[in-house]
Amino acid sequence: PAPPALLPYVPRVPPAALPGKLTATTFALERPCCVFDRHANASDAVWLVVAFANASAAFRNPPSRADVPLYEQLPTACSYMTLETAAATYACSAASPAVLRVGGDTVCGGQGGRDPCNGPLPSPGPYRVKFLVMGCHGPKAETRWSDPILLRRGTGGTAVPP
Amino acid sequence: MAKSDDGIRILQGLLVFGNVVIGMCGIALTAECIFFVSDPHGLYPLLEATENDDIYAAAWIGIFVGFALFALSILGIVGVIKSNRTLLLVYIILMLITYAFEMASCITAATHRDFLTPNLFLKQMLERYQKSEPDNNNDKWMTEGVTKTWDKLMLQNQCCGVRGPSDWQEYMSAFRITHNDADFPWPHNCCVMDARGSPVNLDGCKLGVPGYYNSNGCYDAISGPMNTHAWGVAWFGFAILCWTFCVLLGTMFYWSRTEY
Repeated sequence: PAPPALLPYVPRVPPAALPGKLTATTFALERPCCVFDRHANASDAVWLVVAFANASAAFRNPPSRADVPLYEQLPTACSYMTLETAAATYACSAASPAVLRVGGDTVCGGQGGRDPCNGPLPSPGPYRVKFLVMGCHGPKAETRWSDPILLRRGTGGTAVPP
Repeated sequence: MAKSDDGIRILQGLLVFGNVVIGMCGIALTAECIFFVSDPHGLYPLLEATENDDIYAAAWIGIFVGFALFALSILGIVGVIKSNRTLLLVYIILMLITYAFEMASCITAATHRDFLTPNLFLKQMLERYQKSEPDNNNDKWMTEGVTKTWDKLMLQNQCCGVRGPSDWQEYMSAFRITHNDADFPWPHNCCVMDARGSPVNLDGCKLGVPGYYNSNGCYDAISGPMNTHAWGVAWFGFAILCWTFCVLLGTMFYWSRTEY
């Protein structure tokens, strides 16, 4: 099978001044709009790959949906995939909120289910992310890796302000 | 003799006028201090939890001093008009005692204002707000007071934290122990609420989208009333003391000129 097409889009944390875009266990990403339209059918799924910044070079795209590393495997695989969404949601014409929130789902995970969990991140990182379009025969397109994203560490620090 | 009689009459008139002013100021001081002690903004639990509520002690003293000033001013007027040495002596002694109490109250209020800094309230908020494991009954009482006060403050003044919502992200807190960071980057009372008391847009609030969360800190809402309280007690008290000093001097002079 042909290697996935490399799209020039670089995922990034939104530049707007949102105090909640980086917290201790979550971060926000700009929603990619009009990025996948030429490479994905409406039925393909777009996944978000999250990996520790030092493990992103070693990440290999999973050949099929069954091999996708899930949230629970982050400590061992140093990466996981989440936010499985239909490609149609990222189409040019779709009206949608401007950001995606990674780590916002606190009720999933830990039950051994097979559903992609968008659970809170266990450590401040840094992380790198990229989007991966998966069709029925495997990965079809991917974006570039983002810059390293470092989460807030203040709440793990001292309790007492100076 | 006529001239000194006139002089004495003028002095009597001045002293009566001075005592009338003291009496009215005494009532005003009592009223002002009752207003502060009644805690219209509901901030007393925050002071109580700092274990240093001296500005409240100063206000309590102010209530009694104000009433004492009013009573003593009547005594003074009667003593001056009757030229009664005994009454005037009693007046002078009691007024000196009241003077000392009021001086203590003013100095306490003035110096304790410097104690009320943003970091004091920040530390208290982080350590006590929503603390789940109080050490003892006293701790539990203070924790409940702080939690209720902050919840009310954030709702009524549309504010969050001491300097802003980032207080909850920059420091560890008792709140963070029981509320996970992904669901509660800051307390939900920081969100803009609808008429029924639930957040208008919880996801927007968690992300910090303008319009769905309160971006200001609550420090102004706390320090404003407390500073007014401290300054009100301190400076009005000092003003009364200055006036009373002059009246006391005049009364002592008058006392030395009267005969039994």
